[in-house]
Amino acid sequence: MNYVNILNKLENIKSYIESGILELYVLGDLNADEKSEVEAMSKLHSEVKAELEQIEIDLGNISDSLQVMASNNVREGFFNSIKFSDEENIKPLASKQEAKAISIAQKPTNFYKYAFAASLALLAVSIIALVNVNNTLNNTKQQIVALQSSNQKFANRVNYLDHEVVKTTNALDIYSNTDYKMVKLEGTTNAKGAKIMIAFNSKMQKVGLDMKSMNIPKNDSEHQYQLWALVDGKPVDLGVFDMDGNQIGFKEMKNIGQAQTFAVTLEPRGGSVNPTLEKLMVIGNI
Amino acid sequence: MINTKRKFLEEPDLILALQEGKKIGADALYEMYSSSLMGIVQRVIEDKEIAEDVLQEGLVKIWNSIQQYDPTKGRLFTWMVNVIRNLAIDKVRSKDYRNHSKNQEIENHVNSIDQQRNFEYKPEHLGVKDLLQKLRPEQKVIVDMIYFQGFTHVEVSEELAIPLGTVKTRLRMGIIELRKYFK
Repeated sequence: MNYVNILNKLENIKSYIESGILELYVLGDLNADEKSEVEAMSKLHSEVKAELEQIEIDLGNISDSLQVMASNNVREGFFNSIKFSDEENIKPLASKQEAKAISIAQKPTNFYKYAFAASLALLAVSIIALVNVNNTLNNTKQQIVALQSSNQKFANRVNYLDHEVVKTTNALDIYSNTDYKMVKLEGTTNAKGAKIMIAFNSKMQKVGLDMKSMNIPKNDSEHQYQLWALVDGKPVDLGVFDMDGNQIGFKEMKNIGQAQTFAVTLEPRGGSVNPTLEKLMVIGNI
Repeated sequence: MINTKRKFLEEPDLILALQEGKKIGADALYEMYSSSLMGIVQRVIEDKEIAEDVLQEGLVKIWNSIQQYDPTKGRLFTWMVNVIRNLAIDKVRSKDYRNHSKNQEIENHVNSIDQQRNFEYKPEHLGVKDLLQKLRPEQKVIVDMIYFQGFTHVEVSEELAIPLGTVKTRLRMGIIELRKYFK
């Protein structure tokens, strides 16, 4: 397109418009050169520009009068084939609703699935917790039993010690009481080196064996030692006792107010009416 | 008649929405123009199914190549019509299509326009028959071939053995006649 040509066109814009080239331009029925020519003319001449706009309006009007409704398949196909910048997923309206319906329909199933799974999980947790609690409970019970046992032992020990203290206190009372006369019984040939201390209170007619300092052989379960008092040559039974080596304090025997000698014999369990002299273990004079 | 369906988005907003690839742009494009574009496609392609395929393809092409549209060179609709018409014409001329439809010769086509085409259009819209009745016969043939059936003016000139200049001026005169009708 040269300058001379443009000048020629300028001379008759009207005939240019009426040549029909603008209609072809609007319909895209021109080659590249012709197109640039029309565009150049449109820029140069407002008449050309206005006419182009009018032809476009004509095209719109004619097209409007020819409208044919396309089936919904076209819309669906179109929307399926393109991507939107403002929406993640592009789906046709119909299948969107379908998907919605499906997801709604699936909801209850999913809910029960999850509820069931949750119940199972809860059950497992509960069982574990129960086992743990049970174990703890058993441990605690054992601890309580152990504590009760050791408590009992302790109480026993306290009782025992209490008892020992009382016995020891009594023994101290006896030793410090001048009314008591301490009589030492020496071992015979049956029990050499044996020794028993007896506290005798003639006023109170009390006789006590010092169990702590007692030193004679242990008796077996079928025999017992028996204490005798010789009163004017006659033996008087003062009771039986055992020797196990762990006793303390004084063991109170039967009462007697007067005696010259104390003696101990080994007799069958429960004691004898008369002393078995062959089994005389210790003897001592007051 | 104009603007009855074009209230979805103003043209500048529609162009912006299309350029930005927003869904509202696609919605507006379809609501505002699909019927008009379908009308144009179906002037070129009788078979409704094939016409709809072409329309869909055209809409996708419009969506994908919107960046090529230059607002300074004309209206959006004009550009879209050209995209659609070109697709439709390409389709009609493809071997595929010729085999499929066993089309009539161009002459038959032109001669039978009035008898065959009118029933497919919605009654509430102005029929092409009525539209073309406003034209003189020598204008009517050329307007129909070029505007509605996708022939180039060169082809019409050859088919009808009329000089190019005459084809153009008759087309021009026909459009001016129709313009009067719309006013």
